[in-house]
Amino acid sequence: MATVSRAQEPSAARGRRRLNAQFRELPRFLLLCLLAVIFLAPIYWMLSTSFKPESDTVARPVQWIPARPTLQNYQEIFASPNARFVRWTWNSLFTAGVFSLVTVLLSVVTAYPLARMRFPGRNAWFWFILSSMMIPGVIFLIPHYLMMIRFNWIDTYHALIWPGVPGVFGIFLMRQFFLSIPRELEEAARLDGANSWQILWRIHAPFLIAPMATLALFNFMASWNNYVWPLFVVHGEMQTLPVAITSFSSRYWTSYGKLMAGAAIASVPILIAFLFAQRYFIRGMSLTGLKDD
Amino acid sequence: MTRRRPSRFGARALTPYLYLLPHAILFLIFIVYPVGFGLYVSLHRWNILADEQVFVGLQFYQRIFTPGTPQFQFFWKTMLNTLLFVAVSVPLLIVCALGLALLLQKPIFGRNVFRTIFFLPTILAVSVMGILWKWLFENRTGLVNILLEALPFAKALPFLTTVGWAWVPIIVGTVWWTVGFNMILYSAALNNIPKSYYEAAELDGAGSWNQFRFITWPMLSPVTLFAAVTTTIGSFQLFGQSQVITAGGPLRTTQSVMMYITEEAFTNFQFSSAAAMSFTFGLLLLIVTAFQFRLMIRDLGRGNA
Repeated sequence: MATVSRAQEPSAARGRRRLNAQFRELPRFLLLCLLAVIFLAPIYWMLSTSFKPESDTVARPVQWIPARPTLQNYQEIFASPNARFVRWTWNSLFTAGVFSLVTVLLSVVTAYPLARMRFPGRNAWFWFILSSMMIPGVIFLIPHYLMMIRFNWIDTYHALIWPGVPGVFGIFLMRQFFLSIPRELEEAARLDGANSWQILWRIHAPFLIAPMATLALFNFMASWNNYVWPLFVVHGEMQTLPVAITSFSSRYWTSYGKLMAGAAIASVPILIAFLFAQRYFIRGMSLTGLKDD
Repeated sequence: MTRRRPSRFGARALTPYLYLLPHAILFLIFIVYPVGFGLYVSLHRWNILADEQVFVGLQFYQRIFTPGTPQFQFFWKTMLNTLLFVAVSVPLLIVCALGLALLLQKPIFGRNVFRTIFFLPTILAVSVMGILWKWLFENRTGLVNILLEALPFAKALPFLTTVGWAWVPIIVGTVWWTVGFNMILYSAALNNIPKSYYEAAELDGAGSWNQFRFITWPMLSPVTLFAAVTTTIGSFQLFGQSQVITAGGPLRTTQSVMMYITEEAFTNFQFSSAAAMSFTFGLLLLIVTAFQFRLMIRDLGRGNA
């Protein structure tokens, strides 16, 4: 009803109303701006500090913009014999990449029969592995560590990759997507003599590209940001970047310029990746929660 | 289909199991076995260097529940610290997330930019977030204290080394770091509330508070429940923030139970004692994770329908 009467208004009145409405939104807009500044301030302060010579980091009055901008902090931490930023970055990239690739492929291959085939024990196995999601992660810490010792996997990439691979969240997710694919295509392909492996990659996979990409991204991030586990199973040059910057930081306790340079190196790649693929990031994040259907 | 021979049919019956096999092997090695192995470790006095491990029964569990032992003292102290963190951070992470989502509910200039900015911190590693907030709250030179000194009615506080105040950087940092995640959940749910509900309420003369009270809030209750449960699980596992910002200090007042368990294992090399604590703490967490599991199953039922 309201829309009908509004449509009948003269256009000048409508314009005024719209302008009014925009003015009423002004406080909300300003509040959002203030919050945005507060949210960005820590990241800005990190970057700003990292470009200051050490003496300026604690200068009063506060230098919001570096008065004498310098790359000195970055040069020094790259040159430091104990800091192996290139190696640490590679460790993180490699283990997160392999972890993400392996988990996505394993999730697809495992979810496939659980969603698409009939066989004895299917539901029992599905519920069995699914119920493992209830086990709190802390339970695994000590046994996994002792297993790594026994496998001789301390300070290896294996320790960073394999223990997390059989997690069932990805299987659960992929199974849900498999269930939504229409059966007709699959049946037609089967009549043409395609076997289950061909059906999986030719018929189903095209439907699964988006969820696979999202899951891959999500697992990559989870591995990249992992903290507790890599802190204890890998040391020295085998460390992952986010863990390494804290151990490296203990050497530079008070020189915040270098600390912030280290933090920036560890976060800028992922910040840039986020800005390019934020839709997938956000979707990946909400995938861990509930699907809003 | 007549050309299908019995032998091939037999092979086909195996097909689904072959798909399941790779995951099943890893699942047994890294999920099923460690639960049993962890329990076994907690019932022995584990020595990495020894060939034979001494069975001690429930001794390490008893220590956790016997007043006077260091394990009792520190386990429950850090458990209380963790509970305090959960009790403060979870409501904050729910209320702030809902507030941000509501601010962005109606279209506004730059809405997507704001949403991106609020979400941005969640992608940082916990160590980066920790270093950042330690620097911001640094006793003399931190930005927060510099700003406090500039205010007429406030003065600088040695946050990082004062009992009680040391929680402030940890909690503020955590809210900044993870609120975007719950905000996204709320935003998605707000989108799903039919506009007609609000239009009808407006016709009935309901103000914005009543619209929130009687439409928005009840419609959001499944998300609130979900966010509360997942945030609680996350907050219970507090580790990196305390480790990096305060190192558990001062006087262990910000040490979390996860930190204490890792200290017992990797500093004191008391793996059995740490395993016993993991199971004790894990059993407590199981109450929350089982709840989360039920919520997920409900979702699963909907997906099947």
